[in-house]
Amino acid sequence: MKDISIDTHLKSMMPKLSFEQQKPQSGFADMLTQAIDQTNTAQLNANSAVTDLVTGKADNLHEVMLSMEEADVSMRMLVQIRNKVVDAYKEIIQMQV
Amino acid sequence: MDIFTSLNISASALKAQRVRLDTISSNMANAETTRTPEGGPYRRKMVVFEPAQVSFADHLSAKEKKAVSGVQVSQILTENSEPRLIFDPSHPDANAQGYVALPNIDLLKETTDMMLATRAYEANITTIKSAKRMALKALEIGK
Repeated sequence: MKDISIDTHLKSMMPKLSFEQQKPQSGFADMLTQAIDQTNTAQLNANSAVTDLVTGKADNLHEVMLSMEEADVSMRMLVQIRNKVVDAYKEIIQMQV
Repeated sequence: MDIFTSLNISASALKAQRVRLDTISSNMANAETTRTPEGGPYRRKMVVFEPAQVSFADHLSAKEKKAVSGVQVSQILTENSEPRLIFDPSHPDANAQGYVALPNIDLLKETTDMMLATRAYEANITTIKSAKRMALKALEIGK
């Protein structure tokens, strides 16, 4: 059993390196969480921009429209990501064991 | 999302054109103003544009590395043109010879300027719409 040399023995005694334990989360879950946060922020901004416009505090109409567009595009992207996640889930569920 | 860089640049242009329109309407409204707090008749104002300054937050996030920049109004100049003199001794602001100094504002020039500002505003709105359409098309990749 000559393959158990001294350095393999030493390596097995070293503490487990920390990066092995922080496995990255599933890519889809991460993206979905980020998209939800971004969409939420965009929606809140759009809401407050419209409130400012209605109460007369907004200087520029186009800023309100742009924040609404940002919320719209974020929401559509969230829907697309959700579609992909659901498709991936369905594929996996349909695998025969 | 990087589409918003393009939108922010166009938004800065929209704001600048609005300021230009404000200046033009101020000129048109004051075309007959003979007295101002600074003394003398109203002087024509014009806007000067310059590329937008990169804010400190953008420096931190390395957005300055892109060569594109928006526009901002650097100053609102007061022109030093000579006022036109109209002979009207009955006017309260007439000087010793009976001449009234009226602002040297040509309404035709202001109207043309206003049309240019409107067209520039619409051109930037078209840019915004194109950027939005691009983003929505990109989302269709997944369909």
